[in-house]
Amino acid sequence: MSSETTASTNTALRDNAEVAEALGRHYSAGFVTEIEMTGLPPGLDEETIRQLSAIKREPEWMTEWRLKAYRHWLGMPQPDWAKLKMDAIDYQAISYYAAPKKKPKSLDEVDPALLETYEKLGVPLHERAALAGVAVDAVFDSVSVGTTFRKQLAEAGVIFCSMSEAIREHPELVQQYLGSVVPPGDNFFAALNSAVFSDGSFVFIPKGVRCPMELSTYFRINAQNTGQFERTLIIAEEGAHVSYLEGCTAPKRDENQLHAAVVELVALERAQIKYSTVQNWYPGDENGVGGIYNLVTKRGDCRGDDSKISWTQVETGSAITWKYPSVVLRGDRSVGEFHSVALTHHFQQADTGTKMIHIGKDTKSKIVSKGISAGKSNNSYRGLVKVEKGASGARNYTSCDSLLIGKQCGAHTFPYMEVKNPTAIVEHEATTSKISDDQMFYCRSRGIREEDAVSMIVDGFCKQVFRELPMEFAVEAKKLLEVSLEGAVG
Amino acid sequence: MNQLALSPFVESQLAALPDSGIAWLDAARREQLAAFAEAGLPGTRMEAWKYTGLRALGQRRFATGDAQAAAREVDVSAFALPGVDGPRLVFVNGAFRADLSALDSLPQGVELRPLSQALREDAEPLRFLLSRHEPEQGDAFVRLNAALADDGVLLKVAAGAKPAAPVHLLFLGAPAEGDVAWHLRHLIELGEGAELSLVEHHAASGEQRHLGTACADIVLRDGAVLHHAIFQDAAEGASLIRRSKLQLGARAAATLHVLELGGALVRHDLQAELVGDGAHFTTRGVFKVHGRQHVDTQLAIRHRALHTASDSIWRGVADQRGRGVFRGAILVAPGADGSDANLGNKNLLLSDQAEIDTKPELEIYADEVKAAHGATVGQLDERSLFYLRSRGIPLPEARALLTAAFCRAVLDDLPNTALREHLAGLLTV
Repeated sequence: MSSETTASTNTALRDNAEVAEALGRHYSAGFVTEIEMTGLPPGLDEETIRQLSAIKREPEWMTEWRLKAYRHWLGMPQPDWAKLKMDAIDYQAISYYAAPKKKPKSLDEVDPALLETYEKLGVPLHERAALAGVAVDAVFDSVSVGTTFRKQLAEAGVIFCSMSEAIREHPELVQQYLGSVVPPGDNFFAALNSAVFSDGSFVFIPKGVRCPMELSTYFRINAQNTGQFERTLIIAEEGAHVSYLEGCTAPKRDENQLHAAVVELVALERAQIKYSTVQNWYPGDENGVGGIYNLVTKRGDCRGDDSKISWTQVETGSAITWKYPSVVLRGDRSVGEFHSVALTHHFQQADTGTKMIHIGKDTKSKIVSKGISAGKSNNSYRGLVKVEKGASGARNYTSCDSLLIGKQCGAHTFPYMEVKNPTAIVEHEATTSKISDDQMFYCRSRGIREEDAVSMIVDGFCKQVFRELPMEFAVEAKKLLEVSLEGAVG
Repeated sequence: MNQLALSPFVESQLAALPDSGIAWLDAARREQLAAFAEAGLPGTRMEAWKYTGLRALGQRRFATGDAQAAAREVDVSAFALPGVDGPRLVFVNGAFRADLSALDSLPQGVELRPLSQALREDAEPLRFLLSRHEPEQGDAFVRLNAALADDGVLLKVAAGAKPAAPVHLLFLGAPAEGDVAWHLRHLIELGEGAELSLVEHHAASGEQRHLGTACADIVLRDGAVLHHAIFQDAAEGASLIRRSKLQLGARAAATLHVLELGGALVRHDLQAELVGDGAHFTTRGVFKVHGRQHVDTQLAIRHRALHTASDSIWRGVADQRGRGVFRGAILVAPGADGSDANLGNKNLLLSDQAEIDTKPELEIYADEVKAAHGATVGQLDERSLFYLRSRGIPLPEARALLTAAFCRAVLDDLPNTALREHLAGLLTV
């Protein structure tokens, strides 16, 4: 009897300790790698852009392109329509270029401290690449430090390199496609990115090629006060297939860090691009201090007939997430998909969703969005489905579900539907609720702890989206949600 | 000032500030007019007016009020509605017509008269309602209305009173020498436990291109019950911009049936504040647009108390070059636990020149909540059409039949049977 009591007390104590630890929700990727940085001093003017362009040894046309975007940006007001409370950003206080001092030529020369960083993040370049068959173009702040599997890709004719390299080595491709999906003047943050983008990934899959492996980039924001402005461009020529994985973590900082990326996807006839993101940047602490501002423009262009672009995102990090990965369905019978899980906790804010612009005939789009709000966070889905006059036979299905965990959070849904073609069918449905008491009772009555029950139910809630993720990411995403939700109940 | 601020429309409206002789009212009106002039008409960059451009309206001039309104020949019997035989208040081109109204035998506990009359007799009780400010973004027409409306409906039902016959409010547009703008302000209050059936009827006595604005404040005290039918069949060229604001006390219940059939440019902001525990709000609405009609309904339901419920079903049909706009926003405020909100909006797009823009919204700040919305845009079911045609019904008739059935769903639970059948008949043509 007494030993039983002791045992149960011990279990209770252990549970309490776990809960207490979970409540703290320590950011496991919150560390700072000490590497000497060289960079530009904070501030932004035409001279900064010229210097940036010079450091990166860019051709004249690129410098001009940046300057044009910068001049355009100067005339634009920062948008404020999103459901976000955001401190004003001082663009002059940001340093627009930071790079590790040593320029490694191969992985062997990579700074051990840097490799250790990846190790801590769970991206052991060699092993992981070898085991998972994934080529990793890892971006450490603003310069690509290592690219693996390049040879194997080159044999298939695939170009997978950093944007800086692409500008130098494949200028004709960059000139043809850069800014063709997201023009430099598209919006405030896209214009800023066009002016000062630091680096990013460039992928080119030639005609008829099925990319032999999944491509992946791990981004990290490192140096303090460094906004990181990635620019990613993926081109799939006729009949090409590619699956691209993007994952992010950032070390713990108290200051808000700006991240304004632009991702452009171009799918020509019968091409397919699958773009997956797991975003786990520093969300700020439990009092809402610090955290990344993630203000991103992502857009895919189904330029050719029968092409397909699919976005899958799992957003658990960042203090502010503001992005709408979109698809322009230009080609006839092209397909756009958007699968999203967005989780916010503490004081995080997310205003995310998608746009599906139907232009071609018999185009199809599908949107599945799952929002989870906990703590004092606010989570909004905002989406646009637009059917233009010529898009006869267009079809859209949208489903948005929101889950509320706690009394002080908010979950919002703002879908826009604009239909100009009488043969189109557009459907939207949304629900908002908390985890049902019945489900909880069922789990609890079978001896499942409250936290585990919540995590199970949330996992089920998100299953539809996780299914779309490549395997490694699905595992990571599931774990991420579990960690992120700890401390949200009880 | 935006670009539209100095438009001919704004200029034409600035001239005619009514003089009531009541100091506080005139001061409030001047203030509202100044605010309207400063901001001008909202542009499409403003979220609330995203799908309704006012550029064309901004270029037009309207005389304020129709000086001959009292003399316009109108056959009011042509606008009688079956099942609606209670007291009647008639306005022609924005002016109250005692000769056409039927106010002789008001039921016990019902106060019904034009606002202008109430203001002349004793303005003080109305001071709070008429001088308060609601500076919501983009409500240029609310400001304009507050400044220029010198008449409207004052309707009060005493606590516990349950008049049996529905009250008929008839707003007629009649041909005049030029284009006329009129502005009406309605104050409607149901006392505790009162019950009222109300029909708001906008119609045309001849073709004209007038602009009417109307702002209605409808207050339901605890336990009050309102059945409100809005039947809008304005002239083909008419512009009609309305805002109806309902406030529901504890256990109050309001049911609205809305038919938007006429008008060239029609906008209706329908807002319900569920401020009392257990309040219940139901809307059923349909808009049908053809020709170059533009009909914009902005429904906003705000759950601010415990165990409140709302249920909305809206249908839209757009044919020819018509454009239908619908926004259905549901807000559940922090602490409004037990809220149950449901909204559905289905639309039929029948022509390749027509357009439907719909935007259901959920904004939820409480967790003990059930909230859902759905919206669709599509066309008539091919199989149903085939079924009808295979039984010898020609295509145009089959289409009309299915379209009418699609719209009719919103009338199913209208309790006034005679009125329901009459309105359903109008949906068939």
